Amino acid sequence: MKPDTLLPANKCTTGCPILDQCLAGGIPCNSVTEIVAESGSGKTQLCLQLSLCAQLPTSLGGLSSSCLYLHTEFPFPFRRLRQLSVSFRSLYGQVFVDSSDPCDNVFVHSLPSVDELLDILPKLESFLVKSKSQLPVGLIVIDSIAALFRSEFENTPGDLKKRSSLFFKISGMLKMLARKFNLAVAVTNQVVDFVGSDNGVNGVRIGNLGCLYSSGRRVCPALGLAWANCVNSRLFLSREDNGVIEGDVGEGGFVCRETKRRLHVVFAPHLPPSSCEFVIRSDGVSGVDR
Amino acid sequence: MDISTLPLSATVRGKLISAGYTSISSLASISSSDLARDLNLLDSEAREILKVAFPVNGMDKVEGSHSIVSGAKNAWDMLHEDEFLTRITTSSADLDNILRGGISCKEVTEIGGVPGIGKTQLGIQLAVNVQIPSHCGGLGGKAVYIDTEGSFMVERALQIAEACVEDMSEYSEFVHKGFQAGQETMQSKDILRNIYYFRACTYTEQIALINHLGSFISEHKDVKIVIIDSVTFHFRQDFDDLALRTRVLGGMALKLMKLAKEFCLAVVLMNQVTTKVVEGSFQLSLALGDSWSHACTNRVILYWNGNERYAYIDKAPSLKPATAAYSVTRRGIRNSESSCKRNKMM
Repeated sequence: MKPDTLLPANKCTTGCPILDQCLAGGIPCNSVTEIVAESGSGKTQLCLQLSLCAQLPTSLGGLSSSCLYLHTEFPFPFRRLRQLSVSFRSLYGQVFVDSSDPCDNVFVHSLPSVDELLDILPKLESFLVKSKSQLPVGLIVIDSIAALFRSEFENTPGDLKKRSSLFFKISGMLKMLARKFNLAVAVTNQVVDFVGSDNGVNGVRIGNLGCLYSSGRRVCPALGLAWANCVNSRLFLSREDNGVIEGDVGEGGFVCRETKRRLHVVFAPHLPPSSCEFVIRSDGVSGVDR
Repeated sequence: MDISTLPLSATVRGKLISAGYTSISSLASISSSDLARDLNLLDSEAREILKVAFPVNGMDKVEGSHSIVSGAKNAWDMLHEDEFLTRITTSSADLDNILRGGISCKEVTEIGGVPGIGKTQLGIQLAVNVQIPSHCGGLGGKAVYIDTEGSFMVERALQIAEACVEDMSEYSEFVHKGFQAGQETMQSKDILRNIYYFRACTYTEQIALINHLGSFISEHKDVKIVIIDSVTFHFRQDFDDLALRTRVLGGMALKLMKLAKEFCLAVVLMNQVTTKVVEGSFQLSLALGDSWSHACTNRVILYWNGNERYAYIDKAPSLKPATAAYSVTRRGIRNSESSCKRNKMM
């Protein structure tokens, strides 16, 4: 029995200095980071960007490793990944001097059910050991964990108990892999509308933010308290739509919606509560300095 | 002196001589675990040999025999001891107040709360604070940190350690005017070096670690706090047999209590919260069930009240139930800001 030497965690950059500053360098290795948001807030966008940024050398804040992307929501946005990879390549031309395509280092696997996930987790270890590409796997993304659990389980005490036991099992395995291979793990989660009084179980305050608002509604992360215990850090992406009318509405006009997006740190062992505005453009997710 | 003068069995003597330990002085500087390895014996047997070889050496041996001879301590002595019992500050004066000075040694303290309330922060803070040297009013000990969730972040520990070093130098300047800095000031890297970090990835690993903790601490006598963050995580999966879980947890709690007594150290266990159905309605309670709630001597619950973090003493034999606000700042656990304002107003 020997104590471990303490080394600062590697971080996987988000590809944007402003977001990185908010996250003190990015998504930490040897840790499970959850990204919570309602649909259309940019969870998948951020994950796709992370999967490319993991390939950057450590001098640029990456992990110089490949990414395993497990997706549960169909279809996988290949076209968007392609689009991001093109701009990513031109941005970091000096890294990708040879004709290697950043997409080659993103392994995609679909997970249609919980059983599939439970099946694949023990097999991941052998996959990680003999990774086919030159780069070892350094980042695992599960997008999204909520989609699996929200459909398959009933809202009965028995099912809920089984469900939370599965959460701990999955998270235990992910953390073990993260520890063994020094992986960064990013998991996305959905939100549910907040119903009822503040005193109910749903009103249990978790983390630094008193309450989470997105699209003007009060929301809370899906999968409940048990799952909240399973992750190391929780990030929340919120969006506010401000309808801005441009052009002539009468004929051939269009409504352009201006969406304000923010990234909040709900809780994290190494981060103070903070938030930062970001935008999603064709070349990816980037923070806005205000 | 020759080894043959010792009252040892022939086989042990033979093993000692064949391993090269021919004189008593050759045993003088060896630890029991090294000896056990060299002689291929159990650690306890090796300790016996050393006890025979050096009957008067070592404080603990004297203490041990004393307690066997007298059989019991009287309550007066214990009260006297209690006055000298050191406590580990939490860095929040309000929190220390309700705990009568901090987390006490020789006891098992459980700290529970929702995710993000600051359990890990408090754990890291305690691992740093235990090292505050005695001239600054601390214990000058070391910490064992058993991480089951992977939430211990070195960069955060460094941040808290740096703040602690700053506070200490301020304190010593204040107390000893013209105190010569340099010889005894601690560096933040020393603080990190004195945190023994273990990562347990399964419950088997966690139990094995706790079983071996005794021998680890007997080699590192200056460990004054053991923090397990969290004790719960691995026990919330894969336990269909709840009776077995209760037994395993009970055994673990007993071992930790024994450690706390034996080495006069503080044991701090972090626990999660779960929902519990009471008469049809849901309530929050600490995880691991009712039988576990007997396992810890003290129980502190952390919770949100509005925008403030509060600590509540749920169970403690020698403390009255009380609440105190605290906050988690960049520098670590501190008094809550609003209570600072209140104090200034008065």
